[in-house]
Amino acid sequence: MAEAATTERARPEPITAVPVRHPWRWVAVAVLAVLVAMFVHMLVTNDNLHWSFMVDNMFRPPIIEGVRGTILLTISSMAVGLVLGLVVAVMRLSANPILRVVAWVYTWFFRAVPRLVLLVLCGNLGILWKRIEFGLPFDRQIGALFGVDDFTARFYGVDSLSLLSGFTAGLLGLALSEGAYMAEIIRAGIQSVDPGQSEAAAALGLSRGQALRRIVLPQAMRVIVPPTGNETIAMLKDTSLVAAVPITVELFYQLRAVGVRAFDPFPMLVAATIWYLFLTSILLVLQYFVERYFARGYGRTERARMRLREIAAETGGGGAA
Amino acid sequence: MTETTDAARTAGTAGGGAPAATAAAEPMVRVENVYKSFGRLRVLSGIDLQVRPGEVCVVLGPSGSGKSTLLRCINHLEKIDAGRIWVDGELIGYRQRGGKLHELRDKEVAAQRRSIGMVFQRFNLFPHMTALENVMEAPLCARLGTKAEIRERALALLRRVGLGDKVDTYPRQLSGGQQQRVAIARALAMQPKLMLFDEPTSALDPELVGEVLDVMKDLARDGMTMIVVTHEIGFAREVGDHLIFMDGGQVVEAGPPREVIAEPKHERTRAFLAKVL
Repeated sequence: MAEAATTERARPEPITAVPVRHPWRWVAVAVLAVLVAMFVHMLVTNDNLHWSFMVDNMFRPPIIEGVRGTILLTISSMAVGLVLGLVVAVMRLSANPILRVVAWVYTWFFRAVPRLVLLVLCGNLGILWKRIEFGLPFDRQIGALFGVDDFTARFYGVDSLSLLSGFTAGLLGLALSEGAYMAEIIRAGIQSVDPGQSEAAAALGLSRGQALRRIVLPQAMRVIVPPTGNETIAMLKDTSLVAAVPITVELFYQLRAVGVRAFDPFPMLVAATIWYLFLTSILLVLQYFVERYFARGYGRTERARMRLREIAAETGGGGAA
Repeated sequence: MTETTDAARTAGTAGGGAPAATAAAEPMVRVENVYKSFGRLRVLSGIDLQVRPGEVCVVLGPSGSGKSTLLRCINHLEKIDAGRIWVDGELIGYRQRGGKLHELRDKEVAAQRRSIGMVFQRFNLFPHMTALENVMEAPLCARLGTKAEIRERALALLRRVGLGDKVDTYPRQLSGGQQQRVAIARALAMQPKLMLFDEPTSALDPELVGEVLDVMKDLARDGMTMIVVTHEIGFAREVGDHLIFMDGGQVVEAGPPREVIAEPKHERTRAFLAKVL
């Protein structure tokens, strides 16, 4: 009896149930559709937008120059900020109390001062020092102590005006500030890695540096990358602050200059919005690929690929393995 | 398991790695009157232990009795408060010079740890590396040969633990038993003189315990000196040469595993075994 039941039992009919209805979703779609229609209607009919003026001007050479400046400043200050942040984060987690304090003071200062203030400050450092020179510290005072007038021991120097004008000052301000934020992000990333990992590395005889570089940091990257993407996007937009240094080879300054000169500022503000949307979208694509790389050994993608391989093997799809 | 295992077994017995042959030799591990506290909690109070080369020492005891801490002190993952530990005649973590103890530098401690393999309860494989990369990592960092040589040895080790077909797999895709076998291969890759096992089967599903114990038995037959913290009484009886029972940070009872398990002398040992068996 039981045998017959198990062998002859047919596969039941697939379930065809009436799905739960969601009427409010349709209402939401309708409301949104009306709002979008209103917005598009405004874009087409409002004469003050001056579309042709905008399109004519948003790709002119000085604007493209500004785009290049913005991208260059974003990449270089993020790069310097990342390196700084890594160094400071490692210092912060070091066993050496002096390094820990120095790192804490650094992050405290540069997170406390607003970027705009920091940029103006960097742009005006020339007021403090006419020249920047390297040599023996307190050389004049030491000379006076031994009765030598005008004793100097300086090996190399540059005019601060030529060094700290424009791009360098902007880079300095943005990178120093970014370093402080990146340090906190990287520290959180390192601390998110299971302590068992450094323990296993230590038990295998890896030095602390090796464990950090080969074992801990690659795993911390999973936590570090998403907020770093955020920081990069924020940096792209914060480059518009360098007008305060002042730096003029920058996207927003150039666009606004065109608008102001033509006594028609609004279209160029729209142009700025479009430019920043475009640049940010590129960054988002890059972030996606970086995140996927550092998720190896973890993610759903890996498991999905495995399942695909299994299915292929089951259906006998030319499996050599 | 596989043919390689059987071959290794016969090689092990033929090689004469039995403790009797080396009984007179200097002990591989000498733990002398070791104390360790975490804050105000005393975890080890006056531990003595000797393990001869080729011997398998099994450590039993209730949780919180200091078994894991003892293991972690032997490879200096924890600093001891008092006492001395020697592995193969070398003082662990310190250097005795002119009647004073000097702490070893980071690099020197790392060098000492290279000859001591450790296997953790929670495997602690590197999740961003394949099984093969996990096994190759430490020899690469220590420059124990060319990359090709290290790769060959790592492949041989993975075959030895029965995972020759899982070389390019990431740890997450392996079962617990497979992960622990990779972890054993990873520790063996440094060609250690001593292996420490910290409850290697406690985090495993019951049906996966056997495959890990088989690898460990195989190692023991090859003459590896091992200290094994475990709750596997069967393993202790079958493979162990020496057994210590710890409770409250002290060695309560020690002796040949069969005798201690069959007729424990101490009340606490008896109570513990009654619960475990």
